[in-house]
Amino acid sequence: MPTEARKDTGGAVVSLLLIALGCLVIWDTTTYADSDSAVFPRTFAAVMIVAAVAYVLTWLAGRGEDLGEPAGGSSRRRICLIVVMLAGALAMPWLGFLFAALPVFGALLLVAMYDPWTTRRMILYPVIGLAIVFGFYFLFNDVLLVPLPTPAFL
Amino acid sequence: MKTTIRRKFLTAGAALAVIAGFDLAAQPAAAEYPEKPISYIIPFGPGGESDITARLQQPFFKDKFGVDTVISYKPGGGGAVGWAELNSLKGDGYTIMGVNLPHIVLQPQQKDVGYQTDDITMLYWFHYTPDAIVVTDDSEFKTIQDLIKYAKANPGKLTFSGSGKGTSPHLAQVTFDKLAGVKTTYVPFKGTGASVTALMGKQVTAAMAFTTVAANYEKTRLLAVAMEKRHPRFPDVPTFREVGLDIVSGAYRGIAVPKSTPEPIRAKLTKMISDINHDPAFQKKMIDGGFAVVDYAYGKSEQDFMKKMKVDATAAAKAAGMLK
Amino acid sequence: MAGLEHLLGALTPLNLLFALFGVVAGTVIGAIPGLTATMAVAVLVPLTFAMPTASALILMGAIYTGAIYGGAYSAILLNTPGTPSAIATTFDGYPLAKKGNGDYAITVACLASVVGGMIGALALLTLAPPLSRVALAFGPVEYFWLAIFGLSLIAALAEGSLLKGMAGGALGLILSCIGVAEVSADVRLTFGSHTMLSGIQIVAALIGLYCVPVLIDLVATPDHHLKIEKGSGGYRLGEAIAYLWRDKINAVRSSVIGTIVGILPGAGGSIASLVAYSEARRTAKKGQVYGKGEPGGVVASESANNATVGGGFIPTLVLGIPGTPPDAVILGALLVQGVRTGPSLFTQQGEVVYTFIWGLILATILMLPTGLLIGRYAYRTIITLPKALLVPAIAFMTIIGGYAIRNNISDVVIMIVLGGIGWVLGRFGFTASPIVLGLILGPIAEAGFVQAWTIGGATDDRFAMFFGRPISIAIIVFTLFTLLSPFYLARMKKLKERAHAD
Repeated sequence: MPTEARKDTGGAVVSLLLIALGCLVIWDTTTYADSDSAVFPRTFAAVMIVAAVAYVLTWLAGRGEDLGEPAGGSSRRRICLIVVMLAGALAMPWLGFLFAALPVFGALLLVAMYDPWTTRRMILYPVIGLAIVFGFYFLFNDVLLVPLPTPAFL
Repeated sequence: MKTTIRRKFLTAGAALAVIAGFDLAAQPAAAEYPEKPISYIIPFGPGGESDITARLQQPFFKDKFGVDTVISYKPGGGGAVGWAELNSLKGDGYTIMGVNLPHIVLQPQQKDVGYQTDDITMLYWFHYTPDAIVVTDDSEFKTIQDLIKYAKANPGKLTFSGSGKGTSPHLAQVTFDKLAGVKTTYVPFKGTGASVTALMGKQVTAAMAFTTVAANYEKTRLLAVAMEKRHPRFPDVPTFREVGLDIVSGAYRGIAVPKSTPEPIRAKLTKMISDINHDPAFQKKMIDGGFAVVDYAYGKSEQDFMKKMKVDATAAAKAAGMLK
Repeated sequence: MAGLEHLLGALTPLNLLFALFGVVAGTVIGAIPGLTATMAVAVLVPLTFAMPTASALILMGAIYTGAIYGGAYSAILLNTPGTPSAIATTFDGYPLAKKGNGDYAITVACLASVVGGMIGALALLTLAPPLSRVALAFGPVEYFWLAIFGLSLIAALAEGSLLKGMAGGALGLILSCIGVAEVSADVRLTFGSHTMLSGIQIVAALIGLYCVPVLIDLVATPDHHLKIEKGSGGYRLGEAIAYLWRDKINAVRSSVIGTIVGILPGAGGSIASLVAYSEARRTAKKGQVYGKGEPGGVVASESANNATVGGGFIPTLVLGIPGTPPDAVILGALLVQGVRTGPSLFTQQGEVVYTFIWGLILATILMLPTGLLIGRYAYRTIITLPKALLVPAIAFMTIIGGYAIRNNISDVVIMIVLGGIGWVLGRFGFTASPIVLGLILGPIAEAGFVQAWTIGGATDDRFAMFFGRPISIAIIVFTLFTLLSPFYLARMKKLKERAHAD
């Protein structure tokens, strides 16, 4: 078959991943002690596989969904955001809530910064940032009595 | 430039954190203990029976010892998430956690849940909610014998609602079937509340639930309770033993501490819980609520009790097909 | 009217103060993603021990109703339901805000919440004992079909490919199975990881799938988060009242749906708002485009979820069966106070009950001015905060909120990972809403199915169990109607056009 540009190849790839996931789920259901626990995941894994296979077939027939232009913008900043948030969450059990949240806040501020740094911003932004972090820390820790993680080294 | 800003952030943060009042010198000292609020973690969600239990103890901690308890919730994995984390918490006596049976015996045997039964440092088992067969007040079954007779005549037709599987009501139903020589159908619900709702809506014939149900819901009636003696709140309800079925079981609740908690503090906490458990006002509250107070305190009493529970619960779970 | 003499009891300065404080605190807490109404109420419990029962109830009821309303703010402004009840508010609320009508959407939400809250509370005041029977009429099989009805919404919500919507819905249902199974005792789909043991918490998943992708796109470009129109940030009250008046049938219908669903112990605010939204969409008038920023969607969702507050109290007070999760906490607080709920509560402690109900009505009315005021403030904050502060502030809120739901860091990690996956999936046409529907409805459908199957097996008639009960049949008919009516309408339109052409 000629490799003409099919619409929505990404969607087809995701569908293939979902098919693989469905198979993994069905494999997991074979280990359950209670047959009641297997019915539901097995059924919906099957539904997912069928829907995904059907989508792959539509794609093969060249009738994939037209998604329009992909979202523009900076992919680097997008990835940074997720990495920073994840790193902060993973570091929290060791650093404690505050010591993890402050660098995360600062790093995300830099990730989302498009305006030029003026003296005013350099003073104002960190101050507002600190106010937000400590305000919420106070609200959660002291008012709502949420047991936030404390630093492991203290 | 970016790095300097970042550094500013960090130093400012560290300075403020100290000002904000990190108690750096939190050395456990048994003599003054307790001198600040105790965090009481419930490994289930708010509004459940374990939560209500802790809420009932809360005022007594305050009145008797002047210590505030802050109840927080860490639900997940049927309690396993909380218990798996217990030993990583600070062992200074200011963190205690609610523990339930048969959960901590059965969960580690079923799958790797991140803790072993013996990892948990139990201080006290303070009460249990005895298993009980509950029907609606307009039910055709007046006595437990009526129910057994019906079950014998109609194998599999009698449905019991109950809270979850591998739980104390489920194991009680399996034991009931075996001892009474009947076959009944167990329908698992999410929690005792949902199983009682199903009973009141007549979706099932009876509920395998707890004595507390009859104390909390009007329009319900107990047929038999899984206790050694009759419950003082329900003097007219027979025990299973009275009708020839040897079932004494229920969901036990207790308090544990992180392993790193020093001995003097363990002893002091045990004494506190024991004092609350022996307070006449507290005992009245417990009995009115349908609970059955027990006292298995830190040391030999607790160890012997756990030894027995491990054998009993494991055997019942094997009979129920929950364990291989 | 029932217990009018107790209105004065509710009007004491202390009770009024509690109602006001509760509504304000609830609104703020509800607006923060991750802080749910259940949690807001649980925090208050120790404070209520020393209070008179009626005042304690008013305080908890007010914070509960405020929190349900507050969830609308983040739903509209950040595409993140602050509480699960506000999930359907995002469907049209966020598109409205994107178009620069965030202020309008918030005012509509406030009015709809007050309408819904009033209808729910009035039902509680006048019809509680008879309505409580609804709670018992719903058995496992009815919940199963109700969940299936909810899932049928996927067909409507899946923009673009229906196959992708189905796959996404199934994915959500599978995700809901992770962890320790609710009605059996197996540990499922964790693949040995302790992080997965506690399963996927719905609120954390909501934040991950709705809010994190918004953040991801927010940092990618220097554009403003929401379109700002000149002179925006007002109340636009007249406009909102006029819309609500035109859409009054929707508001009343949604409030009734919310009240009924609130009575059902196995459902809750999220189901109520989804069902109401589905009905509003199905009966859309000409010119109403749901899903693209139709205020009617906000009206349906918000009036329904606030009606569940009053509805939920019906089985709680009459039967001792909590209608919604916050009700379970309130019931626990009452037990500690030594108050036993049940049919005799109304006869023996009528004063407490009716004082409380009047207090709840007052709190609902107070929600109008406070809601408008806080709403305008929230809107202004979101549109004036520069992006470099907005992004970290929201990200920080999602992390602390995601943690606070169950005090578990695993939930935060799962939330962020789901957010990343959700963004990628969305990029390829697998939208978040079907996945979320699967996640929310999965446990209800599964428990209902397993229970109905077991009971049906005991009675030797599974067919009658699933297809022979009147309420089930009604729900099945509704489901088919919802699923098939778009096809039918499209066909009729075609036939008409052909007739015209001839």
